[in-house]
Amino acid sequence: MPEVLAVKDLVTKFYTDTETVHAVNGVSFHVDEAETLGVVGESGCGKSVSMHSLLRLIPIPPGRIESGQAIFQGRDLLRMSPGEIRQVRGAQIGMVFQDPMTSLNPVITIEKQVAEPLLIHRGMTNAEARTRVVELLTHVGIPCPEKRLADYPHQFSGGMRQRVMIAMALACSPSLLIADEPTTALDVTIQAQFVELVKKLRDDFQMSIIWITHDLGVIAGIAQRVAVMYAGFIVEHATVKELYANPQHPYTRGLLGSLPRLDETRSVRLVNIKGLPPDMCQPPVGCPFVPRCPYAFDHCKAENPPLASVNNGHTSACWWDIDLGKPRG
Amino acid sequence: MINYIIRRLMIMPITLFGMTILIFLMLWILGPSARSALYVSDIPKNEAVMKGIITKYGLDDPIYVQYWSWLVGRPDPDKPGETIGGILRGDFGYSRTFSRPVMELIQLRFPATLELTLYAFLPIILVGVWLGVQAAVRHNQWIDQIARLFSIVGYSFPVFVLGILLMMIFYAQLRWFPVERISDWVKMADYTKYTSLVTVDAILNGRLDIWWDAIRHMVLPIITLSYTSWAAFLRITRSSMLETLRQEYVTTARAKGVAENDVINKHARPNALIPVVTYSGITVAYLLGGVVITETIFNFPGMGSAAANAAGGFDVVTVLAFTLVTGLILILANLIVDILYAMLDPRIRLG
Repeated sequence: MPEVLAVKDLVTKFYTDTETVHAVNGVSFHVDEAETLGVVGESGCGKSVSMHSLLRLIPIPPGRIESGQAIFQGRDLLRMSPGEIRQVRGAQIGMVFQDPMTSLNPVITIEKQVAEPLLIHRGMTNAEARTRVVELLTHVGIPCPEKRLADYPHQFSGGMRQRVMIAMALACSPSLLIADEPTTALDVTIQAQFVELVKKLRDDFQMSIIWITHDLGVIAGIAQRVAVMYAGFIVEHATVKELYANPQHPYTRGLLGSLPRLDETRSVRLVNIKGLPPDMCQPPVGCPFVPRCPYAFDHCKAENPPLASVNNGHTSACWWDIDLGKPRG
Repeated sequence: MINYIIRRLMIMPITLFGMTILIFLMLWILGPSARSALYVSDIPKNEAVMKGIITKYGLDDPIYVQYWSWLVGRPDPDKPGETIGGILRGDFGYSRTFSRPVMELIQLRFPATLELTLYAFLPIILVGVWLGVQAAVRHNQWIDQIARLFSIVGYSFPVFVLGILLMMIFYAQLRWFPVERISDWVKMADYTKYTSLVTVDAILNGRLDIWWDAIRHMVLPIITLSYTSWAAFLRITRSSMLETLRQEYVTTARAKGVAENDVINKHARPNALIPVVTYSGITVAYLLGGVVITETIFNFPGMGSAAANAAGGFDVVTVLAFTLVTGLILILANLIVDILYAMLDPRIRLG
């Protein structure tokens, strides 16, 4: 499968008056055509900042993309001029955000908001755009879309707003959709509906998806590959099946252990990961997971483990070989 | 939208009624002899004569009877079949200080104040809102720093201090502006008063020299009157815009590929202006207060200086007429604010 996007060594920092926040510390990943990559991690692990960095949506200042490259269709997103990146945003890469209550403009009608990318990138007339907006809204499952064109976001429920958001992101049939925790703010039944909708759209539009979430359950349902992020690093990367069957990084194990399962026959106590995520204001030395890691040993404090291959496409950044029960040799 | 306006208009009579009650209560507290100015042109010193007037015009009637008379007038005891008084008829009584009916005084003085206030709004909107948006967009850059400095100075500067300071600098020291009164040429034969607004009439009369003279007379009062307000507008617009620019829908707009200018003008600004519009209602009240001080300092022939003079002479009916006009303007301004508010925010309009 050809790659749609290849990100290499992305580093993003935020400079406040007194501190430097090391948000993303050298992240590399790729997305293939018509593939869904899940990015998992807890709040503040840098998953959103990484994706915002790709489209250069982080506020500069205080943010700064320090280094790295993001090759999208042969061109580096991080080195494009502001005008060039605008041509990509909304046209070739669509984005859906976490909270549909705040990500739609409260004073602009749904029609105008969904039509905007069409007017900008496709040069459509208002009438053409309207036809397309109705099509899109029908496609994402908004009932009676013709009647709702003049409505405002506050007249829609949360789930419906998220459908509007995705209609907007897909308006120009982008080849990549970045979904930044799109189900976090929805309740569970609506979440399931939304995931199903995105799967259907993925097949209809033949697009790749980067799905950011902290919900491993959602990822299992939609992604082919998963990258687990911790403290601005990707700590483990594998196909979904491999990751769930054979998690290598202690953090991934912790995450999976803290996930309630409906198919468990006995009731098992959920295990939480002890401790707190590291202070992102300190420059990373050694493995960031050390303070919370049950397997940590001396070497972990001295040197941050690189992503090393475990087996066929499965990589993990850990000095400890969990299967053998000894340091990786 | 029309439903909203109709609903909003239906509240108006209640507000107006409340206002008249409050103003009448002030008249009531001052006693029957103060109220006699509603009907007679000079208040007699002689107690016996005063008693006669009180009985003649029913100034010791029950409060609701007097309120009604004050509102719609009462039969004129001297001219059978005619009505005297009644603010709804435009009869506010007689101004002792200016020796003419209050209504005449209003007609004479109000246009100047209106003109001054209208011009004061220009810098408020232009400098306040426009610069506020610019300052927020260029947060922490030099334009933001300068705007902030001006606004801090502006809203910590009392109007009277600023007025006197400007006068010392520009009239006394630099002599940039004329000192003589504005109204001399208004009495000219070939000059028609179309609107009573000097700057408009001057142009309609084809007299650019008069227009220029009027502008020169108004520059300093306008600055004095508006500085505090535009400083406040700048501050509010700036902080509201900064807040809006942090909202997720702004990121959404950028993620759609919207050009930065449109992100600011089409997506962020309409949202940021909602609190600004709310504040403009308060500004009108503030301006009307500022008018009294500004006009007094610059000896500007408007309602404000008239009210100040009248207050000095304990000319109650004139002061209360000014209060009434001010109140009316405020109620109207709030109506406009509410309508603008609804135009900007569909959640109000449709909610």
